[in-house]
Amino acid sequence: MEERITLKGSRDGLRLILHPDAPWTEVLDALRAQLDQGTSFYQGARLLIDVGERATTDANLQELLAVMEAYGLEPEALITAAPTARSAGRNVGLAARHPDTLRSAPALPANSGEGLFAWRTIRSGQELRYDGHIVVIGDVNAGAELVASGSIIIWGRLRGTVHAGATGDQSAVVCALELSPTLLRIADQMARTPDNHRPTRPEQASLEDGQIVVVPWDAPRR
Amino acid sequence: MAHIITLTSGKGGVGKTTTTANLGTALAMQGQRVVVIDADIGLRNLDVVMGLENRIVYDLVDVVEGRCRTRQALIKDKRFPELFLLPAAQTRDKDAVSPDDMVALCTELGREFDFILIDSPAGIEGGFKNAIAPANQVLIVTTPEMSAVRDADRIVGLVEAYEKGHPKLIINRIKPQMIARGDMMDTSDVVEILAIDLIGIVPDDESIVTSTNRGEVAVLDRNSLAGRAFHNIASRLLGNDVPFLVLEEKPSVLSQFFGRFRTRRT
Repeated sequence: MEERITLKGSRDGLRLILHPDAPWTEVLDALRAQLDQGTSFYQGARLLIDVGERATTDANLQELLAVMEAYGLEPEALITAAPTARSAGRNVGLAARHPDTLRSAPALPANSGEGLFAWRTIRSGQELRYDGHIVVIGDVNAGAELVASGSIIIWGRLRGTVHAGATGDQSAVVCALELSPTLLRIADQMARTPDNHRPTRPEQASLEDGQIVVVPWDAPRR
Repeated sequence: MAHIITLTSGKGGVGKTTTTANLGTALAMQGQRVVVIDADIGLRNLDVVMGLENRIVYDLVDVVEGRCRTRQALIKDKRFPELFLLPAAQTRDKDAVSPDDMVALCTELGREFDFILIDSPAGIEGGFKNAIAPANQVLIVTTPEMSAVRDADRIVGLVEAYEKGHPKLIINRIKPQMIARGDMMDTSDVVEILAIDLIGIVPDDESIVTSTNRGEVAVLDRNSLAGRAFHNIASRLLGNDVPFLVLEEKPSVLSQFFGRFRTRRT
């Protein structure tokens, strides 16, 4: 069966794609179900609502916005090619964008899984959110925040806040050359760096029996 | 094109205004035509540091709102005829000026001056956005303290988002004795966190407080080490390759000897 909704990361932000002709109530139920799986991941995210060719009324959009608000999501814009949906969007205060104006996601090499790659310092106040893995070459400074539905790999010092497996993936890991995050979360577990912890070599954090466990990289277990 | 340089820090009290006044004066001493702009509307200070507060007739907001010509609001320095101050308004707030106003103003001033230095207010709100809008170069001022460095890191991120190129770093108020005791972050610790190029290190200097109160900047004092540090930064802004001051005190031969002795025993 085709998905009622699809949520995926794009260069322009998180994109919610609706099934072209599934009943509207099913679409909303599917959205609620999806959001229930990863509340903190989606909290505060800005969503591009892609209705495609789907005929959409004011009332439909108002219901959708109500669901989004309940889960702490904010609408960024409505993506549609249909004039009726565009005017419905205007009526509920949504900026409408034509699908052609969206930048397509960068091509990914084969066999790599989906990942967001950043070759820079992630600084205080900056945030990376990605539905997939996040790889950073550079430091993640205190006050920066990374949230990924997959794993988070830092080729540098990790001093900020990270959340791997934010939609519930218990197999997600966090690795860093210097693992001293302010706060580290994997799925629904949480840990902070002990006050006297001075990592001298790369480490990997993962979940083991529901607990966050940190081991030096030279003894990988998986 | 004129160098339009904004000095900013995020955190307050790290020495943006003192640095702006000293760099402006040092550049003027090297024959540059300089205007320093106080963008801290409502909390102006730059006029006091430069000893020009009793000459203010018009200010930045008067210029932007068209109550006077730009020339009329520029205050000539007491010593250097090619150095001018454009003071901030004290009775208004940052909302009196928009980023577009600042760009237009600096474009106009850029035809007459070699350097425009903008003293940014603390914070990351409207006043900061005004100060950063016209800049073609940004200098981040910080002190070797964790809180100041954290704020500087935030500012660097914002400056990058405004596509102002790579900002350069000034580390102010370095206390060599505290570093030697291991009680203060040293230069390399700060640079390591912020990952941007260093353009100057300025030692903590008590004479700055007295000179600020008198409205005389440190670069005028030949004996001031901080003054020398500011001169060096000005030279680097002019494209000269000047070595950094050696601030960290070398341990004496005797203490080195005893130091070694101790480590051997343990």
